[in-house]
Amino acid sequence: MNAPPAPTATKGTRTAARVAGAVKVYGAGGTAVRALDGIDVTFPAGRFTAIMGPSGSGKSTLMHCAAGLDTLTSGTAFIGDTELGTLDDRRLTLLRRDRIGFVFQAFNLVPTLTVAENITLPMDLAGRGRERGRGRDRDREGRSRRDGRGGGRHDDRHDGRGGGSSGEWIDALVDVVGLRDRLHHRPAELSGGQQQRVAVARAFAGRPDVVFADEPTGNLDSRSGEEVLNLLGRAVRQMDRTVVMVTHDPVAAAHADEVVFLADGRLVDRMESPTADRVLDRLKAFDGKSDGKSDGKGASA
Amino acid sequence: MNASVRISVSSLRAHKRRFAGTFLAVLLGVAFLAGTLVMGDTLRASFDTMFGDATSGTDAVVRSADTITTPGESQGVRQPVGTDLVAAVEKTPGVAAAAPDIQGAGQLVGANGEPVGGQGPPTLAGNWIDDPELNAYRLAEGRAPARSGEVVVNRGAAEKGDLHVGDTTTLRTPDPVEVTIVGLATFGGEDGMAQVTFTGMTRPDAEKYLTAKPGQAASILVRAGPGVGQRELVDALTPELPAGVEAITGQEVAAENTEMISGQFLTLFTTFLLVFSGVALLVATFSIHNTFAIVVAQRTRENALLRALGASRRQVTASTLVEASAVAVVASTAGLAGGIGIAAGLQALFPAIGFPFPEGDLVISALSMVLPLAVGVVVCLGSALLPAVRAGRTAPLAALRETSVDRSGASRTRAVVGTGVAALAVAVTLTGVVVSPSLWLAGGGAVLALAAFVVLGPVAATTAVRVLGAPLDRLRGVTGALAARNALRSPRRTAATASALMIGVAVVSLFTVFGASLKETMDRTVSRSFAGDVVVSTPSFGAGGSGLSPALAGAIGERAEVDTAVGLGRGVAEVDGKGRALTVTDPVALERTFDLGGIRGSTRDLGANGIAITQQEADKQDLSAGDTTRLTFTDGATRTFTVRAVYGRSELAGEYVITREAWAPHRTQDSDTVVAVSFKDGVTASEGKAAVERVAKAYGNPEVQTRDEYARSSAGAIDMMLTLVYALLALAVLIAVLGIANTLTLAVHERTRELGLLRAVGQTRSQLRAMVRWESVLVAAFGTAGGLALGGFLGWVLVRASDGASNSAFAFAVPPVQFAVIAGVGLVAGAFAGLRPARRAARLDVLHAIASE
Repeated sequence: MNAPPAPTATKGTRTAARVAGAVKVYGAGGTAVRALDGIDVTFPAGRFTAIMGPSGSGKSTLMHCAAGLDTLTSGTAFIGDTELGTLDDRRLTLLRRDRIGFVFQAFNLVPTLTVAENITLPMDLAGRGRERGRGRDRDREGRSRRDGRGGGRHDDRHDGRGGGSSGEWIDALVDVVGLRDRLHHRPAELSGGQQQRVAVARAFAGRPDVVFADEPTGNLDSRSGEEVLNLLGRAVRQMDRTVVMVTHDPVAAAHADEVVFLADGRLVDRMESPTADRVLDRLKAFDGKSDGKSDGKGASA
Repeated sequence: MNASVRISVSSLRAHKRRFAGTFLAVLLGVAFLAGTLVMGDTLRASFDTMFGDATSGTDAVVRSADTITTPGESQGVRQPVGTDLVAAVEKTPGVAAAAPDIQGAGQLVGANGEPVGGQGPPTLAGNWIDDPELNAYRLAEGRAPARSGEVVVNRGAAEKGDLHVGDTTTLRTPDPVEVTIVGLATFGGEDGMAQVTFTGMTRPDAEKYLTAKPGQAASILVRAGPGVGQRELVDALTPELPAGVEAITGQEVAAENTEMISGQFLTLFTTFLLVFSGVALLVATFSIHNTFAIVVAQRTRENALLRALGASRRQVTASTLVEASAVAVVASTAGLAGGIGIAAGLQALFPAIGFPFPEGDLVISALSMVLPLAVGVVVCLGSALLPAVRAGRTAPLAALRETSVDRSGASRTRAVVGTGVAALAVAVTLTGVVVSPSLWLAGGGAVLALAAFVVLGPVAATTAVRVLGAPLDRLRGVTGALAARNALRSPRRTAATASALMIGVAVVSLFTVFGASLKETMDRTVSRSFAGDVVVSTPSFGAGGSGLSPALAGAIGERAEVDTAVGLGRGVAEVDGKGRALTVTDPVALERTFDLGGIRGSTRDLGANGIAITQQEADKQDLSAGDTTRLTFTDGATRTFTVRAVYGRSELAGEYVITREAWAPHRTQDSDTVVAVSFKDGVTASEGKAAVERVAKAYGNPEVQTRDEYARSSAGAIDMMLTLVYALLALAVLIAVLGIANTLTLAVHERTRELGLLRAVGQTRSQLRAMVRWESVLVAAFGTAGGLALGGFLGWVLVRASDGASNSAFAFAVPPVQFAVIAGVGLVAGAFAGLRPARRAARLDVLHAIASE
């Protein structure tokens, strides 16, 4: 399902996340490293944006700062209209919980929780609804479906944000990621690809403003990686979600609506409707150009 | 070798914090042990010096050769010697001086009207010996008694009673005697012989009040002339003495005195403390073992890498053991220093709280240096041994695997072995308790039960944490669920952590159950056996005090309110060749105030040669009413007694009862220990009590208690003991709490990435802290629950076994309030243990945690 990008004008006008004049300096004095060197970038809502660049270009730092996992040395970062710099640790945590989804490269799941519990973890942490009870229902549901008895039990106690009950939404999500029969398994019982799919479901479960994915396919074989990327794409195009993905893989980047290129902590280019070949060409040209500059800093970031 | 050492040294340096808990556990255990040993040695040496000094002028003692020792008492009763022997002794060549030493009980009444001492250590009275060399006491102030009614008292007693030279007070011998203090004395340079009080009277007074008839003394003290050695003196004296009288050297007497104090009091005291340092070290063992087990598990990859690079199993094992040794040696040495500090502190503290232990330099013997060190090192190395071997077995391939999953503790073998041990424990215990009562079997069963609990811990951990965590799950939402799941992660680790607390709590509950059962027993005994209304008694705890005047019972009996007043005195005699305690009383009155159970025969006509005995003793000696038995008294006389009555219940009345008439010819100092009083019909308790108190006032004001008060005051001593036990066990619980904190800190470290993930997806810092804290509480709850169960069971075993071993019936009681308190303390301790790890976890930098490999 390599659906062509279908951005609409209205979507493009709403901003999911944004950084302005973003500077991030690690260390101090002579050993200081400028991981971000004055970046302005906007991630429009309803779009799938990929961040690319050679290692040390600052792409992970950009994501961490945009997502409220790290703080900028100067400049501003917004999720929607909320400026992250003004929030204390607690508010930042609540913002991540309620308005941001995460998919990391590895170690995305809490090993002691079942698949179902992992998916609803952010909402459970928020204490929305009767989380434990719902977790059990979900478990039971999964079990009964596996038993072949079917299960029409929809849980709509969960009061999600936006239209439709969150029970239905998560139910649909579970079907989309294809993990209905694994709901009560522990992460250790799943393959790497399945674990990443759970992580994707978790990231979208709370219908966040934006989902940040940090090399989500980095640890996967190409087939599993493709599945995960398709899921991210479907979430944006069919479910009207927003995804920002950091990757170094042109094939992965080709799933995005737009690619932004970073080098030496600066935004150097943007590409609409990318394909793997075009991204690769761009990177090659770019490598040649920036070789001399990035050598010194490449190892440190 | 060097490689192993180098690896362990660098690892120790890198992970200092991980070993902080281990270090503290070893340190505390060793300090306690060393402190106990040093304090014991110091006290023993001080007493030695004190007795040596006090009796240095006495070169020989002439005394009766025979003693009668009753069961449960280490010191026998010796019959007196005639003072007429003094003349013969003085004539013996080599003797410079001789003086009779008359000893008895005499309790001073302080300036405030309350008795001085008597809460344990003896209250002595005797004749003031004029020869200063022979007198163990030295005049420190005033003069020696010269006239009847003048006394010298030891300075410690005077201070305690706020008495001064020139004061007039009452001495209970136990008949109240008006005395004037003319001098104060010291003993061996101290204010007294430990807590013992001493009153020195003139010789005629002493003979009048302290002996049954004049012309008797406990012993004759002899001083040698110049150039005559102690041995020589004894050799010279021995041929001059009649049969049944012996002479021993002054050194031997000093040694006996020291032995009396060290043997009874100090040995008991130090054994008691050693038991508790043993408990603390046992708890420490679990904590230490757990720390090493976790550290080794966390280092699997590192060890595997070492193995892959060519390190041998032995090298990997050795590096862990070297690490353990380093911790052990440093912590034990610190503990030793700490222990010596504790001993010094206590030495300074005791006098401050009015416990005048003799002063002296700290005695630090080789044993008290080597033993704690050795124990510390052995405990530490022993605890690390298994983890070290496991480290050595790490497969080189483990380096390549993802994180090693805990091989669950709930293995079948463990379950089977544990159940087997548990079954064996129950079988052995029941045999020891029910089938053929034996303390050894019961004790063995108790140890097996402990082993079963430890082995089954990991098996039980899963279920237990689930059950205990259920309410948490519901109340605390996902935070609680995560806490419970974390506690369930490694059942073996959870169980090992909880085991330390379990042992501490088990010992606490054991003592609590035993104490409550003793109280209950006391209560039931009093309410069952005592049919009277009030009791006049000397302090129930210890053998101190001078007892009650034998005239008191008669005086109380004359009051209009009183129906019967019966005094119970104590005597000793050999019955059928074995020393026995006798109750000397009026058997008819006894029967009216005490429920003696069924009586065969009659107590009415015991007369001067009749005896009443309990059914139990009668069965043992195959006696029944009408049979005769022979009693040998301390004066050497042997008389034939006829068993006139056999009664069922011995609890308060004692096992052998004879009349005053029968006892009088053989008695020493006459006294009653208890006077039981029943009122006439229609007399209210308060009226009656007030009347009795008025009479008692004239007899030195002994305490008058109602039945309930009597039972409660008996229980008071138990509460005191329990308080001491709890204080000592606090250390074990502290070590267990340290263990929990340490395990959690290590777990937090292990779960860095997971915690980072939780924080990234929206767990707030306070939620994270709560999660860690609740895990800690769950582990503590598991340990506490196990400890309560085990302690309750062991308490039951102890009570049942004691019941089987003793003559009187033992009641078993589980105190619900105390158990609830213990449970509460366990949970709070858990929450407390979780504080630091929780804070550390919350301080985690999210990004760092996610990025960390």
